[in-house]
Amino acid sequence: MATSAHQRRVIQVFRYDPTRGGDGHYDRFEMDVAHPNSTTMLDILIRIQREQDPSVAFRYACRVNMCGSCGMVINGREGLACKTNVCDLPPDRDITLRPLNHFPVVKDLVVDMTPFFKKYEDAMPFFSPRTIEPEPAVIPPDARERQDIGLATECIQCGCCVSSCSMVNYHDGYAGPAALNRAFTLLADSREGRNAERLRAVLQSCYNCRTEFNCTEVCPKELSPTRAIKYIQRLALKHLGELSRPAGMTNATEEPAPPVAVVPFEPVLQHAGCVAGACSVAAAGGLPDDPSRRQFFRRVIMGIGAASALGVGGLLATAAVGPTLTKTPGRWIPISPMDDLAPAQVSTVTMRYEVTSGFHKETVVKPVMICRRADVNNMVVFNTTCTHLGCTVRWDAGKNIYVCACHGGQFDHEGRVIAGPPPRPLDTYRFKVENGCLMVEVV
Amino acid sequence: MAHEVNLHYRPALQWGELDPNRRQSTPVGMWAWIWQRISAIAIVFLLGLHITLTYKPLVQFLLLTVVIFHAVLGLRVILLDFNLVNVKYQKALIAGLAVLGVVMVAIIWTGIY
Repeated sequence: MATSAHQRRVIQVFRYDPTRGGDGHYDRFEMDVAHPNSTTMLDILIRIQREQDPSVAFRYACRVNMCGSCGMVINGREGLACKTNVCDLPPDRDITLRPLNHFPVVKDLVVDMTPFFKKYEDAMPFFSPRTIEPEPAVIPPDARERQDIGLATECIQCGCCVSSCSMVNYHDGYAGPAALNRAFTLLADSREGRNAERLRAVLQSCYNCRTEFNCTEVCPKELSPTRAIKYIQRLALKHLGELSRPAGMTNATEEPAPPVAVVPFEPVLQHAGCVAGACSVAAAGGLPDDPSRRQFFRRVIMGIGAASALGVGGLLATAAVGPTLTKTPGRWIPISPMDDLAPAQVSTVTMRYEVTSGFHKETVVKPVMICRRADVNNMVVFNTTCTHLGCTVRWDAGKNIYVCACHGGQFDHEGRVIAGPPPRPLDTYRFKVENGCLMVEVV
Repeated sequence: MAHEVNLHYRPALQWGELDPNRRQSTPVGMWAWIWQRISAIAIVFLLGLHITLTYKPLVQFLLLTVVIFHAVLGLRVILLDFNLVNVKYQKALIAGLAVLGVVMVAIIWTGIY
């Protein structure tokens, strides 16, 4: 924690004037902060309003982290103005105060929370018990459900999580972390009677979570909506069979649910747009939520997918199978001038040639053994690859045999196996002599 | 007579819009997500290079690194999805998996390649 010494701070406050419109801008305020340790952003804003600019608009009520009214983006991170102290922010940088993301801005730091509560409502945030009990329920603190739900019921609906979640921007129907956290507290409660409906209502939203933990990082109550979303996903996995059927589903805690006499289930794969709150967006002039249009796009996307899969698959298949089907003609590779090969001796010469297979190009460097006798027609060109496991065979002039060092294979001067594991004689190359140069045929 | 004023809400600010401090405040979990997406694109690109330029050690090393990086970040999501790691350790998990990734790259590159 920084020192409590006097600091002079620059505060940049986002300003938006609804009578003028436009994009909004930052206004710069400077002030002395006598006690950075105990001065909150809310104190700063109140001081700005009283001492420098009475027109700055912001929202607050309880001042003690209980009501969730003063959520805003402080130095690029969502938080409650009444919970963030000046000493929490680096002293060498300006403080920026900005309204929450993903909500229409009414004025300056005040946002319209209607979309938040619309989505909250769509997630069925109310308790509807399956049986009406005359006595209050007694829940032992160490009960499994109580532990699972934990502090998730402490949410104060400040909107920080929704503002921090980058996915809210990309998925109109996404219920957002707060609503899903609320749904989780009820889905994990065995007293709750309408969980089948609730799970269907929030399920599609759960798959919009990308596990970024932004909501968990910023939550002023230190809750983890990510944990709640993961819980709902696992719950859905557990009830996969029931979810794919249009009829009723058992309760989250595996107890048989009483017959649910409510609205018939909507198809599971219905777009979240209508389940969880984007109907307002569509009605407000967004994209029309037309099933035939959606179906068309789905078909186009599947068509493109199928075409690319076919293309790539065909290419790979051709590349993999093609070379074995085509008979490649042999190529003649020059080895050495005949004059360089000593008569009545075995010479080992390295040959070099390029092999192209598809995109792949390779230079083969391989020794060949030329067993030259007095008569040119009686010459043999041996492949040095051992017929056992492919090691390189060499000529042992002392013993007059070809030897493979790997497993002790031995071949006589004609290439016949005389010892060791090789199953057949040494392979030979076809050869010819052109203009006094020895050439062998490789495939 | 009442003065008539036209009031307009400003359209919702988007993540990071008009926010000079946003990048410094981006949490590590979000970087993990972003880099997994970037590495996915890099894999496609490097696979193309791997096919056209065979046996180029630099390409192979980059491909290996990016694939393993992508894999450990995917492992992170799997572990968290199935509650095999408590979400409260998510930051330590990223660090641990990053170390695991570096070790795997080192082992594969020096031992197998």
